[in-house]
Amino acid sequence: MLQGFLLSLSLLLAATATAGPALPGDSVYNLPASMTDQSGRVLAWQDLRGKPVVVSMFYTNCHLMCPLIIASGKALQKQLPQDQQSALDFAVVSIDPARDTPAALAEVSQQHRLDNARWHLLRPEARDVRTLASALGVRYRAQPDGSFNHTSVLILLDRDGRIVARSEVDGLQPDPAFVSTVREHLAAPN
Amino acid sequence: MFAAAVVWFALMGTSSPTTQADFVEVPGGEFRSTVRSDAGDGPRTVTGFAMSRRPVTVREYERFVREQPQWRRDRVPSLVADRAYLAHWHSADAAGSDVDPDAPVTQVSWFAADAYCNSIDARLPDWAEWEYVAAADATRRDARGDSSWRARLFDDGTPRAVDARVDSPANAYGVRGLHGTAWEWVGDYASLLGNADKRGSNDGDRLQFCGASGLSFANSDDYAVLKRVALLSAMEPRSTLGNLGFRCVRSSP
Repeated sequence: MLQGFLLSLSLLLAATATAGPALPGDSVYNLPASMTDQSGRVLAWQDLRGKPVVVSMFYTNCHLMCPLIIASGKALQKQLPQDQQSALDFAVVSIDPARDTPAALAEVSQQHRLDNARWHLLRPEARDVRTLASALGVRYRAQPDGSFNHTSVLILLDRDGRIVARSEVDGLQPDPAFVSTVREHLAAPN
Repeated sequence: MFAAAVVWFALMGTSSPTTQADFVEVPGGEFRSTVRSDAGDGPRTVTGFAMSRRPVTVREYERFVREQPQWRRDRVPSLVADRAYLAHWHSADAAGSDVDPDAPVTQVSWFAADAYCNSIDARLPDWAEWEYVAAADATRRDARGDSSWRARLFDDGTPRAVDARVDSPANAYGVRGLHGTAWEWVGDYASLLGNADKRGSNDGDRLQFCGASGLSFANSDDYAVLKRVALLSAMEPRSTLGNLGFRCVRSSP
């Protein structure tokens, strides 16, 4: 009985600690969404809160732009000083959850030798894709051949999920101005 | 006797003011959209679905806000609704006596419309679905060949609109208000046009989109449709307008 009470008390405290202070109104984490990552772990979109994150949207069957999104994210990571590399996470959200199973996402992670501690390849629920894309300003459209048109961007979110900066992906290397913004953001005390 | 029972059941399904708007089955068909897609401007197949007979009303939206108070104007995060969201309502959960409870709800964002439709196990219509049903007048499923009817659609979104009056007839599908005093959100409004900033630059489009380029217009005579698409494309998903509402659809099982 007492044990049960203590357990629920500690769960309650844990929940309070995770929730932290109220989210800013313009945080993209205001959207409730559940996701599965490349290792099959179920997490809430809000679980990314607490650290700055570079986020993008893609689908694994894409052969032109999507590898560039990941390549330019990796290049960005490399251009950061060592101590900043561990302070930044990457989240790539699928717009094609029907085909982007955790196994498909894990394959992408292996192909690109992603550091699974830093990189989250996420499969949202089908009904949340468009809402997430809208919050992130990502446009996409399913094509008759099963592919998607979509905007390819890297978006820097602060630790509370506010959009700090965004950069169109147009090659293997990230825009130098965006890299500077990320550096400055990570260097700033918060 | 049997027919009477059917009518009675039909009435039971629609008469209560607390039930949600009833939906009418829209049979699928071939349709040539005014908005050209990447697949070209030929006819496309629209799959059958069910559409709400009228836009979501103020009364229905009030109930939604009471059931899901995170959508009250004083609690909604700024991410999903601008400052004008429901600003004309008397209070945070009641429109008040100055607002007709049966009028289409307006000053709601795309996020809010999306959440409302989800709450009744429905969704916002895609543009293709909306345009398909809105091509009908009271007697024809595709009245777009009639230039005088088309010209009247210029008044969409104003008090002079074809469907502005409460007693305006339903269209050939049994749907009302598509050409009413309020414009309507569609689910895929954000991808109706390619990024305006990049238009004219093929390289930009190719790089920005994974795949083909954005969309353009197949029939530039349909000015009223172009006006609607231009208006919707200019919106942010958190934006609201005094004459922009929505309705919901359900995919056919």
